[in-house]
Amino acid sequence: MSASRASASPATADAAAEHVAGLDLGLLGWIATTDHKRIALRMAIVSFAFFLIGGVFALLMRSELADPGLQLVGRDTYNQLFTMHGSTMIFLVLTPLALALGTYIVPLQVGAADIAAPRVTLAGHWLVLAGGLTMYSGFLTDHGAGKAGWTAYYPLSGNSATPGTGMDLWVIGVILVGLGLTLVACCLLATIVRLRAPGMTMLRLPVFSWTMLATVLMVVMTVPVLAVGMALLLADRLGASIYESSGGPIAYQNLFWFFGHPAVYIMFFPFLGITADVVATFARKRFTGYRPLIIALIVFTGLSMSVWAHHMFTTDQVANKYFSLTSTALVVAAGTEYFAIIATLIGGSILLRTPMLFALGFFLQFLIGGLSGVIVASPPLDYHAHDSYFVVAHFHYTLFAGSLFAGFAAAYYWFPKWTGALLRDSLGKVQFALMVVGTNMTFFPMFLLGYDGMPRRVADYSPDAGFTDLNRLSTLGSFLIALGVAVFLWNLFVSLRRRDPAGDDPWEGHSLEWATTSPPPRYNFRSLPAITSHAPLLDRRLEAAAGRRRRPR
Amino acid sequence: MAFNTSLGWHRLRWPNRGRVYALIDTRDEFQDLWRVYLPIGIAVAVIVFGLVLFAVVRYRRRGDEIPGGREGPPIVEGLYALVLAGVVVFLLAMTFRTDDRVIEVSPDPGLQVDVTAFQWGWRFTYLGEQVTVVGDDRRPPTLVVPTDTEVRFTLHSRDVIHAFWIPELRFKRDAFPERDTTFDLSFEEDEMTGRCAEFCGLAHGEMTFDVVAMARDEFDSWLDTQRRAGQIQHGEPG
Repeated sequence: MSASRASASPATADAAAEHVAGLDLGLLGWIATTDHKRIALRMAIVSFAFFLIGGVFALLMRSELADPGLQLVGRDTYNQLFTMHGSTMIFLVLTPLALALGTYIVPLQVGAADIAAPRVTLAGHWLVLAGGLTMYSGFLTDHGAGKAGWTAYYPLSGNSATPGTGMDLWVIGVILVGLGLTLVACCLLATIVRLRAPGMTMLRLPVFSWTMLATVLMVVMTVPVLAVGMALLLADRLGASIYESSGGPIAYQNLFWFFGHPAVYIMFFPFLGITADVVATFARKRFTGYRPLIIALIVFTGLSMSVWAHHMFTTDQVANKYFSLTSTALVVAAGTEYFAIIATLIGGSILLRTPMLFALGFFLQFLIGGLSGVIVASPPLDYHAHDSYFVVAHFHYTLFAGSLFAGFAAAYYWFPKWTGALLRDSLGKVQFALMVVGTNMTFFPMFLLGYDGMPRRVADYSPDAGFTDLNRLSTLGSFLIALGVAVFLWNLFVSLRRRDPAGDDPWEGHSLEWATTSPPPRYNFRSLPAITSHAPLLDRRLEAAAGRRRRPR
Repeated sequence: MAFNTSLGWHRLRWPNRGRVYALIDTRDEFQDLWRVYLPIGIAVAVIVFGLVLFAVVRYRRRGDEIPGGREGPPIVEGLYALVLAGVVVFLLAMTFRTDDRVIEVSPDPGLQVDVTAFQWGWRFTYLGEQVTVVGDDRRPPTLVVPTDTEVRFTLHSRDVIHAFWIPELRFKRDAFPERDTTFDLSFEEDEMTGRCAEFCGLAHGEMTFDVVAMARDEFDSWLDTQRRAGQIQHGEPG
């Protein structure tokens, strides 16, 4: 096995690392690399670039909504903006970012020398990028980019309601992204199943790798359904009449949400895993409730396949009670995950560095998203909340206030592993403060706006509706978020320019990625420590402490 | 002990059997359920925020030692999961009970209105009354309804999917092409705004209608006036 090869012959690994380091200088090294770490970093950088663009779309929309009336953009442009904002954040930012983090970290955490089938991973990355560029090329066409919402419900997304090449390109882009994501997920799945180092049993996988396993299972089970749904939509736009029958529109929704809801957990699990790893590390304590958490993950993954129609309560064409039951039952699994993280905190030795702050930010803000999710899982409450700003608030609390915060936790936590240098902690805390205030100022008012009857996906609202003040507050908040992101960019710049060397293991991590150099050599490990549990490095530290042989780092 | 029917448990089990049909106020139904969900949600949030704050302060790092990470017995997690399951069952029971009442349609509605949604406006046809009201995003139509009457709506779309939403009534339902969906609403004397909730293209945000609910006798005379005037049109259909 490749892992044992790496551990058995450090000299070979060193030589390989130097060989690849030489290739670095060439462009080819970046374009055609089969090193999972380089592919992953490129995926993450591309995701981050798309995040900045999607964020600009959001700022444009928030600016437009700051006052009643149309001041900044027209309605058609606004429709393109929210369509591309949603499509960008879901297809090009959060899902690829989650998979990028997995592609970098999972092979390290399981003690593998590389990801399984790295060329396939690379192809997947290129497909995602190509899909994104295809979607965006719609802006260059006469009718503009996709503008039927990221959900692209039929018949609105059909040729007669939304004509134009831009919409075609959007559909093609989503298909390409879907294929790319599926390929990357397959490689990760194979890595976890087949490439674990000797001794790395399934119940010794770190929590992050377990969450990635659940994630990639959901990707391979649902994203192909999206690709098929979109391919049929493309056929319709080119003249077929598949969705045109009376049952067509609801069939489209069923196909879309069969992907679309597990997709939400695809964008949640990896970030929960990051939070679990970060919390255990900064509480200096073994992750508590590991097995219950794994069971909860598996139950959650299974249930996630049967909750999709809770997006369709108002259609009168699905079994509302059944989907309400499965969706509400997720509370038990999610509650177990929350329990485990709180149990890890209690009795720990907690250090509030930037990664920990963002992880706790995820934990608490996601809770607001989750609890409002329980509300919209109740059909009679959803009859009011559905398609209102209440729902917009709900999913931004999960995806932005939640997942993206954990994304920043991951950036601060693993940046030293990726680059060998630490990000500035003080700037990180400034960013965190700006983003917490900005996020809640932006999204909390949306709960109230939705409750008071403001629909989503509108560029304008009546000055008499009483929506103005809350919208202004929300817009103000969005610019605080932007400021926070600017601080992050500055932090990246400063930290790479004047490097603060991190060493191999700056946080006293628990899992194997901290047992190698920063950044790791081409084939990851010169030697592997004994894998005694899901926290092998903590075991080693405890053993050393017990033997009163504390080693100086 | 007598079975207390005022709790409504009989409705939970046999929603349609042996009960006299009464006016359902969707706003009240929503409010009753909301008052169950919201306090529970807030309580959970307060507990979790409190625990995290407590842990971060109480267990902040003081020295260099590594705390012993002993696993508690899984029995705690098991009991906790049972409590959560109990909460889920309770919430679902409340939800199902309310849902039955909200989506139930009366066997004998006091008025029937056929609603056609289109890009971007509404057509309301009062069945059997030869009265139709139409309006679009430039001149929204007015839906006039009697109070204290179960009004039956039959909803469909002429083009893409729309949704009929009256925020004040806390109720919406999607309008699909080539498919009818029916629901009952009752109104108190009031004026309010209804709107399209499902994104439907360029003028989605302006696809509104006014709602005026008036006493039955006032409504009947309004209906008479409309009938005599023939079909009225506030603006052109799209």
